[in-house]
Amino acid sequence: MKFIKILSLSLLVVFLSTSCEDQLDINTNPLVATSADPNAVLPYVFVQYSNRYVTELGTRILDVPQQLSFCYNSPARGNTSSFLTGNTWFMYYNQVLGNLQLVEQDAEAAGISNNNINAIAKVMKAKAYFELSCIWGDIPFTEALDGATYPSPNFDDQQTVFNGCIDILDEAMALIDAIGDASVNVGQGDLIYGGDMAKWRKWANSIKIRILMLMRNKDASADSRLAAALGEPVIETLADMAAVRYLDTPGEAISYERFVSSFFGPDNESTGAFSPSPVSFDLMMAKGGPRANVLYTDTNGNGAADIGTTTPNAATNAVVSNNIIRRDYLHVMFLPSEISYYRAELGMLGVTGDDVQSNFDAGLRSDCEFWGGSGPGASGLISAADIDDYIANYGTVTMQDIHEQLYLAGFMRPVYSWNTVRRTGVPTMEDYPGTGISSMLKRFDYPPDEVASNVNTPANPPTDTKMWFEN
Amino acid sequence: MKKLSLLLVIFLFAVGFSYGQRTVSGNITDADGLALIGANVIAKGSTVGTITDIDGNFTLTVPEGTTELEVSYTGYADQTINIDGLSNVVITMQEGQVLKEVVITALGIEKEESTLGYSVDKIDSEELTKARATNIVNSLQGKVTGVQINNSSGNLGASSKMIIRGATSLSGRNNPLWVIDGMPFNNSQIDGVSAISGNRDFGNGAMVVNPDDVESMSVLKGAAATALYGSRAAAGAIIVTTKRGKASKDGGARVELNSSYRWDNMFVVPDYQQDYAMGSQAKYDSSSIGFDWGPRNVGQTVNSLPVTGESGALQKIDNNGVQDFFTTGRTLINNVAISDGNERMDYRISMGALNQTGIVPGSELDRYNVSLNAGVNHSDRLKSRFGVQFTKTDSKGTAAAGANDPNIIGLSSFSSTLDQAVFQPWIDDAGNQINQPTPTSNNPYWIRHENRNDRDDTRVLANMQVTYGLFDNLDITGKVGYDFGQDNRFITNKKGTAQVLEGDFLVDKINQTQFNTDIIANYGIDVNEDVTLNVLGGFNYNKRKLVREGLFSQSLLVPELFDPGNTELNVANRGFSEQALFGLYGSIDIGYKSWATLTLTGRNDWSSTLPANNRSYFYPSASLAFVFSDAFDLTNDMFSYGKLRLSYAQVGNDTGPYQLDFNFNPISNATGQYGLGVNFPFDGRLAFAKSNTIPPADLRPEQQTSYEIGAELDFFDYRLGLDIAYFKSENKDQILALPIPESTGFASLRTNVGQVNTSGVEFTIDAVPVKFGNFQWNTAINYSSAKVEVVELAEGVDRVLISSAFNSVQVVAEEGAGFELLAIPFLRVEDSLSTEFGGRPLINPVDGTRLAGETRTMGSVLPDFNMGFVNSFDVGNLNLSFTIDWRSGGVMKSSTVENLQTGGLVTETLGNREGTFIDREGVIDNGDGTFRENDIPLANAQAFWTSLDNNSVGEPFIYDASFVKLREVALNYTLPQSLLGDSFIKGLTLGLESRNVWLIYSEVPHIDPESNLFGAGQDGWGVERSSTPGTRSIGFNVKATF
Repeated sequence: MKFIKILSLSLLVVFLSTSCEDQLDINTNPLVATSADPNAVLPYVFVQYSNRYVTELGTRILDVPQQLSFCYNSPARGNTSSFLTGNTWFMYYNQVLGNLQLVEQDAEAAGISNNNINAIAKVMKAKAYFELSCIWGDIPFTEALDGATYPSPNFDDQQTVFNGCIDILDEAMALIDAIGDASVNVGQGDLIYGGDMAKWRKWANSIKIRILMLMRNKDASADSRLAAALGEPVIETLADMAAVRYLDTPGEAISYERFVSSFFGPDNESTGAFSPSPVSFDLMMAKGGPRANVLYTDTNGNGAADIGTTTPNAATNAVVSNNIIRRDYLHVMFLPSEISYYRAELGMLGVTGDDVQSNFDAGLRSDCEFWGGSGPGASGLISAADIDDYIANYGTVTMQDIHEQLYLAGFMRPVYSWNTVRRTGVPTMEDYPGTGISSMLKRFDYPPDEVASNVNTPANPPTDTKMWFEN
Repeated sequence: MKKLSLLLVIFLFAVGFSYGQRTVSGNITDADGLALIGANVIAKGSTVGTITDIDGNFTLTVPEGTTELEVSYTGYADQTINIDGLSNVVITMQEGQVLKEVVITALGIEKEESTLGYSVDKIDSEELTKARATNIVNSLQGKVTGVQINNSSGNLGASSKMIIRGATSLSGRNNPLWVIDGMPFNNSQIDGVSAISGNRDFGNGAMVVNPDDVESMSVLKGAAATALYGSRAAAGAIIVTTKRGKASKDGGARVELNSSYRWDNMFVVPDYQQDYAMGSQAKYDSSSIGFDWGPRNVGQTVNSLPVTGESGALQKIDNNGVQDFFTTGRTLINNVAISDGNERMDYRISMGALNQTGIVPGSELDRYNVSLNAGVNHSDRLKSRFGVQFTKTDSKGTAAAGANDPNIIGLSSFSSTLDQAVFQPWIDDAGNQINQPTPTSNNPYWIRHENRNDRDDTRVLANMQVTYGLFDNLDITGKVGYDFGQDNRFITNKKGTAQVLEGDFLVDKINQTQFNTDIIANYGIDVNEDVTLNVLGGFNYNKRKLVREGLFSQSLLVPELFDPGNTELNVANRGFSEQALFGLYGSIDIGYKSWATLTLTGRNDWSSTLPANNRSYFYPSASLAFVFSDAFDLTNDMFSYGKLRLSYAQVGNDTGPYQLDFNFNPISNATGQYGLGVNFPFDGRLAFAKSNTIPPADLRPEQQTSYEIGAELDFFDYRLGLDIAYFKSENKDQILALPIPESTGFASLRTNVGQVNTSGVEFTIDAVPVKFGNFQWNTAINYSSAKVEVVELAEGVDRVLISSAFNSVQVVAEEGAGFELLAIPFLRVEDSLSTEFGGRPLINPVDGTRLAGETRTMGSVLPDFNMGFVNSFDVGNLNLSFTIDWRSGGVMKSSTVENLQTGGLVTETLGNREGTFIDREGVIDNGDGTFRENDIPLANAQAFWTSLDNNSVGEPFIYDASFVKLREVALNYTLPQSLLGDSFIKGLTLGLESRNVWLIYSEVPHIDPESNLFGAGQDGWGVERSSTPGTRSIGFNVKATF
């Protein structure tokens, strides 16, 4: 009996003591990967970028350029909350640039067969840095994304960033030009163009032109570079436009629609969650032609609600129509009209020899087709005849007209329309009630997380301090 | 031959003892005259002894010359009885003043308190079952030094968070280890959903422990006390020992019944104003619920009353109807236990039931416990014991807290003219929501009764141990334990719920298991008359596993058909982790003359979560107990006992699983503001993303060093006792995801970094201030302070995020400070710029509102000190006891108060409602370096109050979180034995009891200052948002023994 007891105890000891090392070698997560196919990483970058952009900037700062009368948790009065700044900064640097950096490094290591992937990563990278600088001004650029060498990246001025973005775009275009016959398939990962690199090249050049247009107020070299860039392929048709196209299915719908249906009610027209400001509404009514009634609904004829006025749960004033606030709307990143208006502007200034009127008309036509014609903005609501009438009766174009149309094309596009107003000063912004700053908001404060962890973060200028590119 | 020798020795001893010996008999009872079975009786100065039988009788043959008997019985004071010239004695044992109190220390080792060189607090079953808390953690509130307990809300099944001696970890490892009958068990809380998008508090793991099953709880505070448990107990340990079986006083089975019935109501009701109606700018608006800036309510007739839309006169609803909505909750606690035992075996079976309905309509919780604890002494050498606790918890409809969830009903969701009766009914025959305030907001009864927030939790804690005495002084114990938890959660939004019109549901299944085994060899010997030696060596293996699987489905076709086939979108998710730890440990106790004990321990752990080259780590401890009153024979009528304690310990600590590798994670959701995510696959595309944390290059174990010095002093024959301790701990090399500039492309770098020092003082005063006749007053005061100082973080890092809340409010660890609340203050005139106006808020000259400043820390979220005042009065069979709980210091941000004030709902918003006024605290910056008194009028009070949180300013809603509470009161009457006579009832006690009786003092208006958003899962003290109101419970109790 005693033997059996001792034996049992010994067996227990042996049982418990076996394979200690095996038991400890379990620290590998079975649910994650150690490497990833760019066709799986790029969709994350596009959609994460787009959804954070739409939900953070789209729902919160569209009243800064007064596209909307009011945004919840808006910084329009001068204070940019740490959540707005922190989430946006995190998205750009960590979720977008951090992942693109790894995609780019792998593609470069793989060589020419991955030129397409490399170029896509570079275009998105340049776009992200450009928008970061448009929001904050000086940002980490030359020392960014290299924590091993630069644990506390220094901040570069806006001119350096913009020039650097152009360099990246030039590199991307060179990579595309050098693509051989045996490129890897990036059709699955490329949510924007399905792997069509000719379109990527146009988009890269178009972004370059957008940057140069901002720079030309302060950089004399910009005009010649613009003229050269406009001589290369650019986005000039709706088929080439850059956008994330959302779907009419739950979970894949654009968050503008979900913002309304989740927090306000069945749709925007009955709740007015997105309502135009008097600035944008009146301008659209006066100069937008047939687009106006597609983009806005003003059932009661009350016009737009005053700036800074919320009309929650009651669409008594003009509202953004359900044509737009719908599940399968697009996150527009580049429309062909922008190039047309730039051509008209530069032609009018004599920078290029482009014809002003024809380019301006092309811009009007393209916008009308996007928001109501055959384009995907709100398809089939505007007849070709109405577009022809609108263009024919517009009258002689002025610089004010060009700038106004650039602004109207920024409908539901926060950074683009903010840039347009800051660059051109058109249209004139109304005073925001209760504002604590001397003008419209010009920049965000740096996010507290970057301030706390990066000793090289500069002091925040007042949020009404102009950007370098502004006059 | 050996047997023969043994017989010879026994014979010689027998002859020796027989010579000159005599027989003494006696009877041992407790103070009530009931026989004590198994009491030890030893002839002083010899090894001769016996134990009492079932009638409490003993007969002992003592050596000649024996004049005293030493009598001991667990839980009673030892006695020395003079038997000089006596052959029969009657001995009455006294509870209470236990001279050689035995406490359960690490690994379940029983030690005399006098031998401990570190601080251990013990709570016995009587204290735990006095006005029983439904969460056992709350039973300790106010009763233990060095312990801070936060119960997060009045929600059914709400979690409570405990920390011991402050917070030392920057990575959330501040929760003590819980151990039940030698088996570590899981007290973690896994958050439901998220604190930002609506928090669902499903309790903490330890709340499954049934207070009626607990014999005692030891609170091991310092690292020296917990050293043998290793790294997992770096933040202290709670050692739960369950009750063992014992026979009734007549020797038969013992049956105990304990029943309570209580009514629960709101503990704090906001000071609502009833003078002004709902609306804005003095205009009535029937849709403006929770926004009472309308006209003065003089009973005027309005065209549209809220919800009904009918015309009628405005009413004034008492307390805004909040007590009509938050109704009386009911708590029924029943426990019955059957036990028996003798010298050979014991067993105890217990069945408990907790049945509750909450103050939140539609909420209910049922918890059933079945436990078994049994042991057998198979022989002198072989003993075995096993225990099982099975707990089933089923809660339905508990409340959500936080924001961004339609199911949250905070105290600011009420209006002065809104009768809750108008919301009835909330559903029509077709299943549609009706009587909504507006088409886009919900009828509160709809979300309470139609949307589910259910939890079905099964928990099994099982343990088994076998002890075998290899030799007289050497025994080996093997312990095996298993903790199984299956937590199934089910959260729905019914189709038709505003903000989730298409409906959705979440299935969340969490399985947590833990296997633990120890093999311990223990050798004890009296080296000589003065020196004793006890050597212990052991082996530990611990493995924990978590599997979490869930499904989130949106857009239901058929309402209430919660099947993925009935939804347009289904997102499945899965989580898995496991970790293992091996430990080898040993300790040596060297005792000298019973007044000095030196304890040395060492433990080496091997952890699966650390790099293979650094996974082994050793840590030592040393402690000394010196009973100087015995050493120097200092005892007299005034001074009864004096002991000094000294201890030093190092503890290593590992980290969580899977933190060493760089990974790409499959992503199912692209995140967005307001919880607006987009799902993958998106347009048929899968998504992977890199992790945001750079993995560590060469991770080392954390290192905590702690010191403690203390003293125990007793006076006046133990009627006054003082226990005082000073402690300090240094927690270095913390394993932390250190925030790095996000401009590097990553958010954090996991590394060893930083140092947090914690130091503090604790003292306990126990006293019997009054004792005469059958009246006795026992009192205890306990005090503990813990100063937490973040000594260093990392180069260039001033603060580290601990928990993030809403509107720019965070809990951070700040270098040079502690765990601080970070928020946006008002912009104020700097003192250096103006002596006259320095410190006052700057006013926006455009509209007269206050300007926002830069985010800064607003004070520690941890208290300066905690104090408890425990009292018990006995008059014959009547006992009155109460506990006062005082927490001093610490700050909290209350979003409920923010919403009550900005919504014009509470009385402080009544001033200046009609007409302009000037914020006289404010100052205007003249722009030339000078300032002037504010002269910019605000339109009215609404303009002032609603602007206070402009730009996410949090300062006006941050309060000193100090409070004094009458935590519990119990009045019990035990029927005298004479009344019960020979009935089958052996004992009967009737009582009245109340918990959270009275908020004696609080700086926080309108709410319970203990309310907390984060629950037990995070180190998120100091933030409250739409928490379920805390409750006051009053009821009665019956305890009977059969």
